[in-house]
Amino acid sequence: MEQLEMEEHGTIRSSSSSSYHQGGFKMPVDSEHKATQFWLFSIASPHMRSFHLSWFSFFSCFVSTFAAPPLLPIIRDNLNLTSADIANAGIASVSGAVFARLVMGTACDLVGPRLASATLILLTAPAVFCTSLITSPASYLIVRFFTGFSLASFVSTQFWMSSMFSAPKVGVANGISGGWGNLGGGATQLIMPVLYSIIHRAGSTNFTAWRIAFFIPGLVQVLSAIAVLAFGQDMPDGDFSRLKKSGDKPKDNFADVFRHGASNYRGWILALTYGYCFGVELTVDNIIAEYFYDRFDLNLRTAGVIAASFGLANIVSRPGGGWLSDVLAMRFGMRGRLWGLWLVQMIGGLLCVLLGQMDSLTSSVLVMIFFSFFCQAACGLTYGVVPFISRRSLGLVSGMTGGGGNVGAVVSQLLFFRGSKYSKETGISLMGVMILCCTLPIMLIYFPQWGGMLCGPSSKENATEEGYYSSEWSCEEKEKGFHLASLKFAANSMNERGKKGSGSLPTVHVDGLSATV
Amino acid sequence: MAVFASSTLFLLLLLVCSVGTAVGGVHFSTLARTLNVTASPKQGQVLMAGVDKIRVFWGLNQTVKAGTDDAYKKVKVKLCFAPVSQENRGWRKTEDDLKKDKTCQFSLTTQPYTKNPNPSSFEYTLERELPTATYFVRVFVLDGSDTEVAYGQNTDAQKTTNLIQVIGITGRHASLDIAAACFSAFSVVSLIFFFVKEKRKGSKN
Repeated sequence: MEQLEMEEHGTIRSSSSSSYHQGGFKMPVDSEHKATQFWLFSIASPHMRSFHLSWFSFFSCFVSTFAAPPLLPIIRDNLNLTSADIANAGIASVSGAVFARLVMGTACDLVGPRLASATLILLTAPAVFCTSLITSPASYLIVRFFTGFSLASFVSTQFWMSSMFSAPKVGVANGISGGWGNLGGGATQLIMPVLYSIIHRAGSTNFTAWRIAFFIPGLVQVLSAIAVLAFGQDMPDGDFSRLKKSGDKPKDNFADVFRHGASNYRGWILALTYGYCFGVELTVDNIIAEYFYDRFDLNLRTAGVIAASFGLANIVSRPGGGWLSDVLAMRFGMRGRLWGLWLVQMIGGLLCVLLGQMDSLTSSVLVMIFFSFFCQAACGLTYGVVPFISRRSLGLVSGMTGGGGNVGAVVSQLLFFRGSKYSKETGISLMGVMILCCTLPIMLIYFPQWGGMLCGPSSKENATEEGYYSSEWSCEEKEKGFHLASLKFAANSMNERGKKGSGSLPTVHVDGLSATV
Repeated sequence: MAVFASSTLFLLLLLVCSVGTAVGGVHFSTLARTLNVTASPKQGQVLMAGVDKIRVFWGLNQTVKAGTDDAYKKVKVKLCFAPVSQENRGWRKTEDDLKKDKTCQFSLTTQPYTKNPNPSSFEYTLERELPTATYFVRVFVLDGSDTEVAYGQNTDAQKTTNLIQVIGITGRHASLDIAAACFSAFSVVSLIFFFVKEKRKGSKN
């Protein structure tokens, strides 16, 4: 039996061997070999390398998905598009990923994030290349729809980070990878016009130049997926296929993964609330340039710069949310993560209502900048909670939440930004009200072992981390030892009790043996 | 701190850029329609951008009183979108303030105004960058300070007659089509390559 000691912030480390560099890793790891630190400027294999591969490939998908909006002034003339065609294509670009994110989640659970994400990215790249062939509104909608499927690589990014980084760092890892990926939606508003003008100046006519420009994001997308396949690895100990062969990772089946993920009400609540932070972010990405252009009579380039700044805030805002989630968890545990999420998203909703009421350009831009920070930080805070909802069906829950984000974008655009029922400013304020209403259900999330926003943890005997995570496995499966990975995770997640909770020493299972400390 | 500093700088930049939009222009409704304008295409004729030509004729309407054109210095001939091509397209909206008006987006020529009893003309080859749309021709008269003082157009006030239909180029090329096919194939083939590699690695182990 090994002696276990609790560190100040509740990370369990083994003291029998040196706690650093277990198993020959370049970074300090926990018992699941997940990194317990996050070194942004390193490419140490496998943890930090996976981080850089995943955020960059996700970034390239965002650049491709939102490559059309900044070039719309040229594309709409070339294809003779109407406002309705543009709005419909905008909705189509985010609706494909609703379903794709769910499928992606399950795919990650079954074949691993490396194969799942690379497959998706390589199969959607043809849609980006074929954008150069389109000649009608219908074909425009089709390519944007299929290109948008690539946004499902968000799920594989989050799954991959949750597999590589331990509980104290999972929020910041998920936040930075998600944020720097979403950054693509802002960066593309600057990149595509620059590419277009270089090609146009080199001699192509305008209607050819934009077509050539689309090859760049497509090629970057393909190369990043190849890099993922060549240099990436699913888990700290290896790829799914190798681990399955050696018996370290038992083969799971779709039906059980689906059942456990879909029956966990917490996943559904987060799917709804994510629709009102990330979904709102996608909606704003699609409508904000036009809003500033029309309302304040700016030229297209200025409107584009403002539109870009909304997405560019992601460099710090979403990672900031992830970091805040981890900081709150250190002190207050899971309850801190939930309260942080609720507060930040509510403030985001208030700022959204305010944005629609602003009458001057400077006040609008100022409110929009604050709104972008809170809205995107809420996305980071959401994914500080997601890794803990399920261990067996982590991918599916990640996918449900991510898909819910896209549903929110579709619903918001359909309700408030299609047709002339509401002016854009009224639409924005109403969207803010909807954010406030749809954030309230976070109060209903309750973990027996950690508590919820309004109630503390349960005092029942089986209200423990192992109780929660091993309840996802049946008795027969437990007998075969399928649940061992979940138990390791349960032990490592005990710091979600916060400072007060980690004072009492629990019963911990290590390597199938029971050890009372 | 850095957030506030960068957002303040950004706002200053915006203020500087937005000053230009604050000054308004001449209102179209104040302009007198003193020129007669005609264009060569017949009703129903469809023209190809980059290939076909049109000839625009303009001259002072003989019914206006003499001396009206004393201040006229230049004419600017523009190609403008007809209402059917403006429908559902807010970026081509007609506004009375000419600085904000987006009806006439293509300038064909700017020439000095000549007090000639015969109409002046200009031959224009439809440029390749012209989008597929229905157009009419409008000629603005400018005074010495380059401000619009009068106009003429080849269609009626409701912009329903003598409209010019243009079909724009697609911008597509055979080389682009081939490149798209090749890159797409490369994408799928690399995926298959890695799948086969994984299977082989798996069966070796």
